[in-house]
This record gives sequence, C-alpha cells and structure tokens, in this order.
Amino acid sequence: MVVGDISTGTDVLVIGAGPGGYVGAIRAGQLGLDVTLVEKDAYGGTCLNYGCIPSKAMITASDLAYDANNAEEMGIYTKLDVNYGEMVEWKDGVVSQLTGGVEKLCKANGVSLMEGRAEFADDKSVRVVHGGEGQGSETVEFEHAIVSTGSRPIEIPGFEFDGEHILSSRQALALDDVPESIVIVGAGYIGMELAGVFAKLGSDVTVVEMLDSVLPGYEDDLARPVKKKADELGIDFHFGQAAKEWEGSGRGITVVTEDEDGDVSEFGAEKALVAVGRQPVSDTLELENAGIETDEKGFIQTDDRARTEQEHIFAIGDVAGEPMLAHKASKEGQVAAEVIAGEPSALDYQAMPAAVFTDPEIGTVGLTEEEAESQGFEPVVGKFPFQASGRALTTGHAEGFVRIVADEPSGFALGAQIVGPEASELIAELGLAIEMGATLEDLAATIHTHPTLSEAVMECAENALGHAIHTLNR
Amino acid sequence: MVREFKLPDVGEGVAEGELVSWLVEEGDEVSEDQPVAEVETDKAIVEVPSPVNGSVRELRAEEGEVVPVGNVIITFNVEGEDDEESTTESAKSEEPTESQAEVSEEPEVSEETETPEGRVFAAPSARRLARELGVDIGAVDGTGPSGRVTEHDVRTAAESTTDEVEQETEAVESDDDLEIQPENGGSASAGPSPDTIEPADRERTLAAPATRRLADEQGINLNAVPAVEERDGQAFVTPEAVREYAEAQQHAQAADAAAVASGETGPREERIPYRGIRRTIGKQMQKSKFTAPHVTHHDSIDVTELVETRAELKEIAEERGIKLTYMPFVLKAIVAALKEYPYLNSALDEENEEIVVKNYYNIGIAVATDDGLMVPVLKDVDKKDMLQISSEMNELVEKARDRTISRDEMQGGTFTITNFGAIGGEYATPIINHPEVGILGLGELKKRPVVVDDEVEARYTLPISMSIDHRIIDGAVVASFANQLLEYLHNPRLLLLE
Repeated sequence: MVVGDISTGTDVLVIGAGPGGYVGAIRAGQLGLDVTLVEKDAYGGTCLNYGCIPSKAMITASDLAYDANNAEEMGIYTKLDVNYGEMVEWKDGVVSQLTGGVEKLCKANGVSLMEGRAEFADDKSVRVVHGGEGQGSETVEFEHAIVSTGSRPIEIPGFEFDGEHILSSRQALALDDVPESIVIVGAGYIGMELAGVFAKLGSDVTVVEMLDSVLPGYEDDLARPVKKKADELGIDFHFGQAAKEWEGSGRGITVVTEDEDGDVSEFGAEKALVAVGRQPVSDTLELENAGIETDEKGFIQTDDRARTEQEHIFAIGDVAGEPMLAHKASKEGQVAAEVIAGEPSALDYQAMPAAVFTDPEIGTVGLTEEEAESQGFEPVVGKFPFQASGRALTTGHAEGFVRIVADEPSGFALGAQIVGPEASELIAELGLAIEMGATLEDLAATIHTHPTLSEAVMECAENALGHAIHTLNR
Repeated sequence: MVREFKLPDVGEGVAEGELVSWLVEEGDEVSEDQPVAEVETDKAIVEVPSPVNGSVRELRAEEGEVVPVGNVIITFNVEGEDDEESTTESAKSEEPTESQAEVSEEPEVSEETETPEGRVFAAPSARRLARELGVDIGAVDGTGPSGRVTEHDVRTAAESTTDEVEQETEAVESDDDLEIQPENGGSASAGPSPDTIEPADRERTLAAPATRRLADEQGINLNAVPAVEERDGQAFVTPEAVREYAEAQQHAQAADAAAVASGETGPREERIPYRGIRRTIGKQMQKSKFTAPHVTHHDSIDVTELVETRAELKEIAEERGIKLTYMPFVLKAIVAALKEYPYLNSALDEENEEIVVKNYYNIGIAVATDDGLMVPVLKDVDKKDMLQISSEMNELVEKARDRTISRDEMQGGTFTITNFGAIGGEYATPIINHPEVGILGLGELKKRPVVVDDEVEARYTLPISMSIDHRIIDGAVVASFANQLLEYLHNPRLLLLE
C-alpha cells in the first residue's frame, strides 16, 4: 500500500472504456456483479472518439460533398461551399452524443466509473493513478479484471506524431482546415479511408506504401475498384517506398522515402499522415506484477473464454490480439463478463466480419476461396457484379461485386467478399448465413426485396448454384 | 490436373471395404460413372464409379486390401487441366440418414457431411446449448440440411451421453426377502415416439427453405408436422421432423391398409427407435457376448440353514436400524470363494496380452430402475462386515433408483451378481459384465423337494447360474468355485471365519 492510497474493492474491474470495456462492464452489471470501469482518457475509447465513428462521419460528409459536386450525369449542378471547421464541429457533436450515451448506460447498469490510469500492483489489485501530478492514486482490489486497453497508432522512427507536421489518424481527424496537400504513409485501410476524405475535400493526396498494392491483406480483385476510384480522385500512389525521414520546408514538409534498391524519392506536402498500423497498449499496465506475459508484439494471449494465463484476469479487444476490430472487442467483452458470472459462454463464432469504408466499400466475412481450399473444402464460388443490379445503377454507384464462397458437396456458405455500394451493410446477411450454417440454397430461396442492393446476395447464391437469372452462369 | 478419389461410403454406416478387384489399370482412359473397382463390404459387392472423365494416374490400393472409407484409392489425370494441382474428390453426398444420436469417444464422421478441420455447422444457439449441456458439439451427428447440427440434435446427444455413463448388465430383483430391485423385463427404457405421430394443426410454421422443399418432395403439409422447436414463439420445423413425419405417415397408411385388409383396428406393428439407453444396453451385451466365449455353470444349494440364520440376525440388525437381506451373505461367500480362485476376480488386458488379477473385491450388483439398468458397485467387500455391507448396499440401490448415484459409484467392479430369481425362475445364462470374467446369477430362493438321507424333504434351495469367460476360466474351475460357494451358503457359520 502506498501511503495516502484509498482502497476500494470490486467484483469486476474493467480497465479501458472502449467498445470492448464498456460493453463488458455493462454486461457484468446486468448480471448482478459489482463493476468498476477505469478510463484514463475518454469514454468510448479510440472507436468512438478517434477512430470508427469520427472517421465515418468525415467519410459521409466528404462523400456527400463529392457526390453533389459530381452529379451532372443526373442533371444536378451545384456550386459547392464546404466549411471544414463546421464539418468537424458536426462530427464532434456526433461523438459527444455517443460518448455521453456510453456514460449514461454504464451508470444505468450500476457500473462505477473511475478516471485514471490503472497499473497492476499484484494479481489482486491495481493502482489507479489519477490524471496530472499530485492528484494521487488509489488502490482497487478486484475479484476479476478485464484488460481492455486497446491499441495506439504505430510510430515510424523519426516520424513522431507532433500534431502539426506529422499526424496520426486521430490528429488528422481533428484538423481545423483541409490541408492543401498531404502525404499519407501507408495504404492500409486507415490510410485509404482518409486519403479518400481529403481527396474528396480538395487536398492533393500522395500515398506512399512500402508494399506493392493498396489494402494489402485483401484479395487483389477487392482492392482493384478502390484503387481505380482513388486514381479517378487524383490520388498519387507510390509503391515499394519506405518512409525514411522528413524535414520542414517553408510552410510544409518533405518526406523522404527509399525503395528496396536504395533509390531515394522526395514528396513535398503541407502535412504528412502516418497510418502504418496499430499496436497494443499493454506496456503501461505493469502486467508482470499480475503474472501475465505478452507476446513479442505486446499482445496478451487469451483462450476461448477471453482468459489470460491468470484464470481471473481477462483480456479483450485490440490488446488481446488481431484482428483489431471494435465488434470483436464488444463480443469478447460480453463473453468475459458472462464467463465471470458463471455462464457457459465462449468465443465460439464461425466468422468475423470486417469492413473498409473506402470508395467503394469492402465487406468480408468468413473464408476466401483460397482459405476454403486450404482447409480441405471443395469451394464453389458465386459472383454477382453490381453492374447487373438495378438498384446499384439507380444510385450511381455500380462498381464492384458480391462473391460467395461455399462448400460444393454440402452447400454450406463459408465466406463472402463484397466490394461496392453499402458493402459494409450487405455483409451482415452473409455473416448470419455462415453462423447459422445456411446453404446456398437457403440464401437463394430467401426472397429479397426488389429493388435493393441486397438482391445481389441472392443472385450471387443462385450464380454459385448455376441458375442465376440476371447474370450468365459459370 | 490430378483428382484424388476417396473410397465412398458404399453402404449405410460401412466403415471399410475390401477392394476385390480393379476394373481399370493405370493409364486407362475412363469416363464419368464408369466402374473402376469392385469393393466388398459386409453387406454386398458394389462397383465404385469414376467421378470424372480422364485417365487413371495411380491405383493406391492392392486387390484384397481392406480400405477404410475416406481413404484415397485411386487418382485420375483430368484432361485439359494442369498437372500441378491436385484436388480431392470425396464421395458424393446422399440424403442424410435418420438421426442417430451417437456419442462416442471420437465423433463419427459420416462421409456425406464430412467437414474439414473439425468444422461444425451449427447455429450459435445450438452451440450455446451444447456448452450448457456439456456436449462436445464436434461429436454430435447433425440431422439438419447437409448435416447441420440442430438444437434437437444437441439435446439427443446430451441424453445419450447420460446413458453412456451407466454400465449395463442384468438387473436384480428382490422378493420380500431378497430386498433388491425387480428386474423389469426389459420394457422400461422409453424410446422416442413410436411411428404413429399425431399430426399438428397450425396456421403458421417456420422452417428453412431447404426444409420446405423437402416437405414438398415428400408431399407433406408443414403445418401438420409436429414441431420440436420454437423460434420467436413460432413452431419451427426441422428437416428431421419432416422426414420422421413423412415416414410415420407412410407407416400409418400402410398399417391402415393392412388393418382394413385384415379387419383389425389398431396397428399390426410398431416401430420403436432403437436408441438411447436401450441401445447402450444392447451394445454392451453384444460386446460382452461376442468378445468372451461364455460358459454357464448351473447348480443348486440347500440354504435351509442360511434362511434360519438370517431370520435370527435380521431382528438384531433391525434394532440397529439396518435391513438385513440375503445379499450380504451371498457377497461374503463370493468374496471368500474368489480369494481361493483369484482368476475369477480378474480381467483380460487384450492389448498387452496379460491377465490382470485383482487383489481387491468390488462387487457389482445389477439393479433395475425406472430409467433402466444400473450396476452400483460395492467397493472393498472383503474389508467390510455384514451390517456395513447391508447398509451400504441399501444406500447404493436407493441412489441408483432415484438417479443420485455418481459415476464413480458405478465403476471399478471386479465381479457382478444378478438376481433374476427375484422375479422368478430357476436358471438363466447371465451375460458377463465385460471386462469382468465372471457373473453369478441367483434363481428364486424357495422350498423345493430335496433328497436328504434317501428321504424327500421340502427344503429351501437357491439355484445358481454362473457364467464365465472361457478364455480365462475353464469349466472345472467354475465348478470348483461353485462348490466352494455352495459350501459357504449351505453352512453360513463358515463365513464367521472370513
């Protein structure tokens, strides 16, 4: 005990109030446990404050502006005037509405909120250090703990985020003005989403990527429409380039990159955004005091009940490993709370959906054809292009396709990949199908509303079965 | 491209087949459906057709070889495709067969629904139920479309898991004197519904599209199919339910026709699924009978003195609050005799080819309960006195009856007694409680004519029937053992020395 500490006790201590932590805390509260939720920064975590939500707000707003400006085809002519500051204000309003909601929900479910940074004193208690010097700290003793500290953007050596020249995604979403020009380091989903936002709002965008394609990790044909659209937006791509250093120059900066042959290139812009991935926040927790080790990347290893090597300490969300997805964190939080309450809960899902909010969107769930094959299935693949969808054509966005991967002998849906309008929403139906063990026949026989984008899913299943109506069958 | 072809499931539930002959040679051109091999199963000789047009690349089994279902037996080169890749052709799927709630150590992989890497197709609700009921969902046979595991399948598996826990042998019954459970004539275990299914009469029914198609094919009205599940408060019908109902309808119609023809009312036959506890008993019996060559030795013991002794001691025991039956005497006598014939208290370890002689005496007592047969095991009988044996045995029987008996209390037996005489009869041929090597059956204890000094007298006799595993025990040994037992029960005072 540190002198001056106050000690409190709780059934469940949750560290970090992101989409994993607050969901776990609320669920535990619902199950009648005494819950304390510790947050050092902002309720809602990265997702609500600096990630998913603000980026989606900015994507929607920039899409609206861009689409309105490019609808001559529909006979719409506008003279656009975007006030970026007000756009950011609107986005902040959305964020605070949601984070306020999180606080209310926690309190309504009997969750005690505590502000500060938690570090383990041992495997039974944490010290919560309150913000600022001299604010003191207090000890919280717990029966169970849920570690949900999330992740932070990875910094490239020499490119420390200063908020002025070198921006993290969080800082990029909080600028006062649209930068005239920006260099984005990294063509992963964050880099590509924000490249779209800035390009649509009039920035000159340059993307440098160490690998040789956009959205590495996604199949080529999914990334292709995204790259095509980005080219149309005038985004300038440079692949095989590793960011080495930068220097200030006049009002802006120059980013120096190097290819594998050691050839150097320079890219000048007003600002640079570095989006090369995220790393777990596990180094501030003094985990060793609780007898928990992390792997070499800093992730905490967990089992299918979200337990760490200490039976009574759980880890969920980004800090517990890939894929780093808010919905994964929420599900894990729920499971951890239920396991603590003695329910027969487990992480027992068949498929984890993911979405990329580029233009066009990408939605994926389950296995790719290649993965299905390597797991010993005999995959059959159905495909349906949005060009053949009446509804897609009426929205002015008909690029991309729906693809379903199924096991041919049994007909079970195994996976789906969608690139195109509303892919992030459309993928949900396939998630349900896979989770329920639905077959191609079930998908094809389920009547879908006409005219909608969702019909594409039904048509795609029919295509896999070899009797599609609106496309030529394989 | 190379296509591998696995030996398909050529008959229901056949696990392997003998490759009788190849009808093609390596390099032969084959067309799809052309027979390439003859395979003999325990049911028939079947021709295995080629799945592709192409040429035979490699025969991977010898004629005469016994091949497990699912093993690759032949590979083909398929024209116009690259030689680099290789794909596996697994057997074509058939309609899933009737539900078989089978829970075994390893999940039975039925060829038609084989999914790689142990992937199980089941809804989250079914998965959760499996966790709640402690069922390994990977070991559950799915009866849904393409073998999807339904909640109903999970429940069925859970029920048969509980059954598996119970070791089955014969049951013991008691008359008022031998106060142990009655054998219930083997009709007790309730199988699922017989095949007269009452049609339902609903306005609406939920079902998956594939189920609706099945109902259509079978000419069944979904609203008439009894629903085992509910979704959102609506009746939900599974494909299995449709199949069962369709079958029941067919049976019912056939039975009706037969009844009309013969002027009868009511069904001429009933078909009761062979499942759950009944099947567990069956399997156990079958294993014992077909593993151990049984020999049964019959004898009869004059127990007049035992009857008198017990009558005296019964009152003393009652004062101590214990009900004294004949069983403790029999148990004591058995243990005494087993000590002299240790091989009767052994088991055969076939794997290591060793006979395991046990120097402890855990005697199983077969008991019939409403839920079927159970064999509580009385541990270390040699270390306990009569009253201890009496009270412990009564307690075990009670626990077996009200299903509070633990798994542990039904395991570890070294020898078993079954008291069929409680219901009646003189002699029987008890089946050994495998892997034990002996079982003692008791007939009805009653007065019978006995020759005493050339005079016929009415005396209490106890017929015994003892089966042994002839792999370990010879007839002479069991006869000597029976004589020893006879000695102790004829003259119960000898037990005082034990």
